[in-house]
Amino acid sequence: MSDNGNNPFKIAQKQINDCADILKLDQSTREALLRPMRELHVTFPVHMDDGTTRMFQGFRVQYNDAKGPAKGGIRFHPDETIDTVRALAAWMTWKVALLDLPLGGGKGGVICNPKELSIHELERISRAYIKAIAPFIGPEKDVPAPDVYTNPQIMAWMMDEYSSMLGKNQFGVMTGKPLSLGGSPGRGDATARGGLYTLREAARKIGLELNKATVAIQGYGNAGSYAASLAESMFGAKIVAVCDSKGAVCCRAGLSSQTIAKQKQSTSSVLNCQGSECISQDALLEMDVDVLVLAALEGILTGKNAERVKAKVIVELANGPTTPEADEILYKKGVHVIPDFLCNAGGVTVSYFEMVQNASMYYWDEKEVHERLDKRMTRAYHEVFDMSEKHHINMRKAAYAVAVSRVVEAMKTRGWV
Amino acid sequence: MVKTHPVASGIPALDNVLGSLRLGDNVVWQVDRLENYHLVARPFVKQALGEARKVVYLRFATHQRILPPCPGLLTIELDPRPGFDPFSSQVNKVIEGQGSGVFYVFDSLSHLVGEWATDELLANFFQVTCPFLHELDTVAYFALKRGHHSHSAVARIRDTSQVVIDLYHVYSKLYIHPIKVWDRYSSQMFLPHLYSEGKLTPLFQSGDASSILISASKSPLKVKADSIAPWDSVYRKLAQYAPEELEKLSDSVEIQALRQELTQMLIGAHAQLRDLAERYLSIKDLLAIRNRLIGSGRIGGKAAGMLIARRILLEEDGKFDFSKVLEEHDSFFVGSDVFFTFLVNNDLFRLRLRLTRNSRISHEEFHEVEDRFLAGRFPDEIMEQFRDLLDYFGQAPIIIRSSSLLEDSFGNAFAGKYRSEFCANQGSPEERMEVLLRAAKLIYASAVNPDALAYRRQRGLGESDEQMAILIQRVSGTLYRHYFFPPMAGVAFSYNLYRWTDRIDPGQGMIRLVMGLGTRAVNRLGRDYPRLIAASHPGLRPEMGAKVAFYSQQQMDLLDLAKNEFRSLPVMEVACNNDYPGIRFFLSELKDGYLRDMEGEDPADLKNPVLTFNRLISQTDFVEIIKELLSKLQNAYGYTVDTEFTAFVGEKGEIRINLVQCRPLRLPGMTASTAIPESIPSERILFRAKRAIPGGVIRNIRYILYIDPISYAKNATIDEKRMMGRAVGTINRHTEVAQHRIMMMGPGRWGSSNINLGVNVTYSDINNTSVLVELAREENGHMPDVSYGTHFFLDLVESNIIYLPVHPDESETDFNHDFFTKSPNHLDLLLPDAEGLKNFIKLIDVPFVTGGATAQVIAEARNGSAICYLGFKSDPWEIKDGSEAINHSTVQDILKFRYVR
Repeated sequence: MSDNGNNPFKIAQKQINDCADILKLDQSTREALLRPMRELHVTFPVHMDDGTTRMFQGFRVQYNDAKGPAKGGIRFHPDETIDTVRALAAWMTWKVALLDLPLGGGKGGVICNPKELSIHELERISRAYIKAIAPFIGPEKDVPAPDVYTNPQIMAWMMDEYSSMLGKNQFGVMTGKPLSLGGSPGRGDATARGGLYTLREAARKIGLELNKATVAIQGYGNAGSYAASLAESMFGAKIVAVCDSKGAVCCRAGLSSQTIAKQKQSTSSVLNCQGSECISQDALLEMDVDVLVLAALEGILTGKNAERVKAKVIVELANGPTTPEADEILYKKGVHVIPDFLCNAGGVTVSYFEMVQNASMYYWDEKEVHERLDKRMTRAYHEVFDMSEKHHINMRKAAYAVAVSRVVEAMKTRGWV
Repeated sequence: MVKTHPVASGIPALDNVLGSLRLGDNVVWQVDRLENYHLVARPFVKQALGEARKVVYLRFATHQRILPPCPGLLTIELDPRPGFDPFSSQVNKVIEGQGSGVFYVFDSLSHLVGEWATDELLANFFQVTCPFLHELDTVAYFALKRGHHSHSAVARIRDTSQVVIDLYHVYSKLYIHPIKVWDRYSSQMFLPHLYSEGKLTPLFQSGDASSILISASKSPLKVKADSIAPWDSVYRKLAQYAPEELEKLSDSVEIQALRQELTQMLIGAHAQLRDLAERYLSIKDLLAIRNRLIGSGRIGGKAAGMLIARRILLEEDGKFDFSKVLEEHDSFFVGSDVFFTFLVNNDLFRLRLRLTRNSRISHEEFHEVEDRFLAGRFPDEIMEQFRDLLDYFGQAPIIIRSSSLLEDSFGNAFAGKYRSEFCANQGSPEERMEVLLRAAKLIYASAVNPDALAYRRQRGLGESDEQMAILIQRVSGTLYRHYFFPPMAGVAFSYNLYRWTDRIDPGQGMIRLVMGLGTRAVNRLGRDYPRLIAASHPGLRPEMGAKVAFYSQQQMDLLDLAKNEFRSLPVMEVACNNDYPGIRFFLSELKDGYLRDMEGEDPADLKNPVLTFNRLISQTDFVEIIKELLSKLQNAYGYTVDTEFTAFVGEKGEIRINLVQCRPLRLPGMTASTAIPESIPSERILFRAKRAIPGGVIRNIRYILYIDPISYAKNATIDEKRMMGRAVGTINRHTEVAQHRIMMMGPGRWGSSNINLGVNVTYSDINNTSVLVELAREENGHMPDVSYGTHFFLDLVESNIIYLPVHPDESETDFNHDFFTKSPNHLDLLLPDAEGLKNFIKLIDVPFVTGGATAQVIAEARNGSAICYLGFKSDPWEIKDGSEAINHSTVQDILKFRYVR
């Protein structure tokens, strides 16, 4: 990846520098944070179905493990680059630190296109990759998880390969495994549920009664659809607008999440939901609602439309839905933004729970997972909020400050810096 | 009254006997030798020319001229060899062109039987031509050879004509014997008359008359007359041999000749198809067809393709023994002559002719046409055969399928243009007959449906011989609960146009597979997807994770025998029990975000079952069998083929296939070497695409019709979306579009039955576009659906319409948003009344907007990449074909696009 402004690692480094300025970190600490601690580049052969052998390239980056074993996904993507993996590993470091999980940040990837691979080839690549990085990972060193184009089945193959290399079951080497192989209950809706716990706390802070609140949801994929049903069941909030890639609908009287789900299931779109009217996606973002859930793509709120946002709270379930310009505008307007890496940290928190359960060989029920997730998310929210108040900075910067300071403290205590 | 105005025949004695001919008379001379026809036709013409009448001689036979050339006589030569339909159409055109009051002499009609094989078509020709002549107050002379045609044909001719006269020699004397003289009568008129020295003398004496008549007629019961129609004579000759004799003598010159003749009569004259038939269909096969033929005539392209393909699979060697793989077919054929008889008897022929010539018929108007067809009746003898057929099938479900002469032939698939009707075939014999007749009539009507007519015109087949045969087959399937359906059905192509990765070898083919009836595999349905299998890499699929569940089949088509109807039901509602045979080969489950194949669970217990056919693909020979099937057929045809099949899988994974269709698939652009120029300036590029089909170069596109995908999705009401579909159709048919090229661009899946997913059009609404662009907006890794393998897609491929799926939001697409959003809208030019649609549809007049440039599309067939850009003929990278040069401008000019200002 070139050194242009779109290089994700350059962006990640800038964020660290900004945060270091707030925290007034010394130069050596800053230097230690700006680079990954360890990187492994591997090349490995895989036998293809047609009898040929192809070489594949993979990476594993452990950005910082001062607080504990590295944690982060494995991506199978044709356009994978080491700089993307580095940046994502850095962001994982801050996310797990923000939740105060005893973990560090990591990420991995294989340059391949799963759309061009049969299931058997995918299995062979998964096993070959894990064989290649096996010395680098382990339940106490680095615990990968599913990410782009990898899934619980792939985690199961990888865990199996790793276990057979060690000659013993090592369920804890991967998270995101199928339930039948040591996966944790409560993973399916963890991201949305964790986000709504932070919403609940935010509402308390700003005096918003969620049982009377109106909610607009931008994006109706996995996170968005769970957010709709949980907002109803947890708070009794009223969903007044939803959208997906095909368009947006609104209904001031409220839309039932079940109705929306049925419509989506039968027509592949939320459009024409019973009792709703079509509006534009832009109109949805600018609706006079209490809560705006952003659950689709990055860059939705920008310097151009942020001024017109009327919501009191913004719930960032997607990654990067608000640009830095929009962040500043919203902060000045007094819109309360729950930043993405706090808001959507429910997934990694349940991954951590999976590690704990694997290690103890004792598995919790879903209710227990929800309760523990609630505690973690609630505590993290308040820590970020307090930091924001203390330094008079927006919630995103505050979240970085909380996370980075925790990593720095661990590094210092260990005597690294 | 004009009609009673006497007309002189040139033989005064005859005028005297007949009370003279009249304007509007069709005069049929039944002659024992052609020279006798000369004796009456020549005086007739001489007289007419002397009276300064316009006289036309229609010359189409190979016999000697009836009339020698002479001043004033217009001879028009016509060719009956292309078949009944085009010939009738030509004659109709001549008559229309010549106008009223003209006198005609036709060559001997008996010659036509030699060309068309059956008396039925001769009678049809007569029956469609004479009423028109009569209306135009003409007098026309026809000749027929006495005793050479079937009773029913002669009876129909006699019923249609005004005057029928026998003319024969007995003992070297010539006799004239009027058989029918419409609206005229005298006590001596219908007696035989001796014609001698210009006089006609009636035979009163019974003895004379008897002796003359006995000598003149071989048999008074014309039902037994020897027809000269090749159809009957060939069959009669073959019937003389016992089956074992035929087998023994199959290589003999005589049997070979008869086989060739029978092939031509049953299969048709199309060289490639006939060659295949001659190579693969034995005399036994042909006789088997004949034994299941209702009426006479040909069996049509679809039926022929199916039979030939089956034979190819059985005869050519390969890895699999197809005698163990192929299911028996159980088919009947309604001969193509029956179609014309139906048209003629029910006064529909001229309606069809009119529609064929002018295909501008709306779908609403077509419903009225259908009603007229539904009111039609079949001849009694055909009804008898239909009864036999229904008795044979009992209450087994049947499918009534179009099988026109052009359909499924080389280069003309007519995919989905004509109708096919499933009959659950339950109820009383009368009820079942009613359903069968209705289906057959609707198939006949579909010969003139707007899509078929547009397709024919597009391909220059407007007036070619298009006879509609019908294929009636036992539906391939099994009974499960009260539902009847095949476990699997699909289409398979020997060339894979859907290549989402270069790993796929397109030459090994592609399969589009569904559970239940195959209608789901060939139609473009809303949110429902067949399994696409690349034969070279069956395990690959373009979707990942949960997307696999989304892009899967949800509904299945079947025959509900309890309700006696065709239905679409959720797959899991029908086959949710573990007792459905082989269900484990079909189902997977989406669990924890990934798919796992079924492992002995009860399907009813699966929370998120997904129809993937994964185990069928990985654990049975299904894909390998289809691969071999495609390869064998392609080798034999010498063409890419498109097949339809049903399939069964046994408990141990054994596969049975029923091949229900095979046709050659024309893939334009596959051989053209097109390459995208690298030197096109970026500001000229309108967009790029990755999966263009087929390859080719389209230059000088003047108009771009652009439907904005965002406003279509967000702002358009259902009514507006429907209006947009109609507006697209109107623009498509506009003369401006016919003269200049147009590219159509719009959201999602064109032609989908779900209006929210794409522009609501049928083939006839877009058939004049040169390029069709489906704009797919990316959504969280959403794989834009395309219609590969559907009839709609095949239409595009066959019509040489380049199909481009484009992702405007992807940076590598280089989509020039400004050009499409800022260019002025010229929709008023072609659609003045569409003010309300201007927010959605934009018509860009490219040269106007760009100062003279036109849009160019280059699509590389081999890798599917394509580019659309603005270009001039003067551009250095342009191929100089010189045929369609437009106003030249300098390269610099184009940089000053008006839309930018």
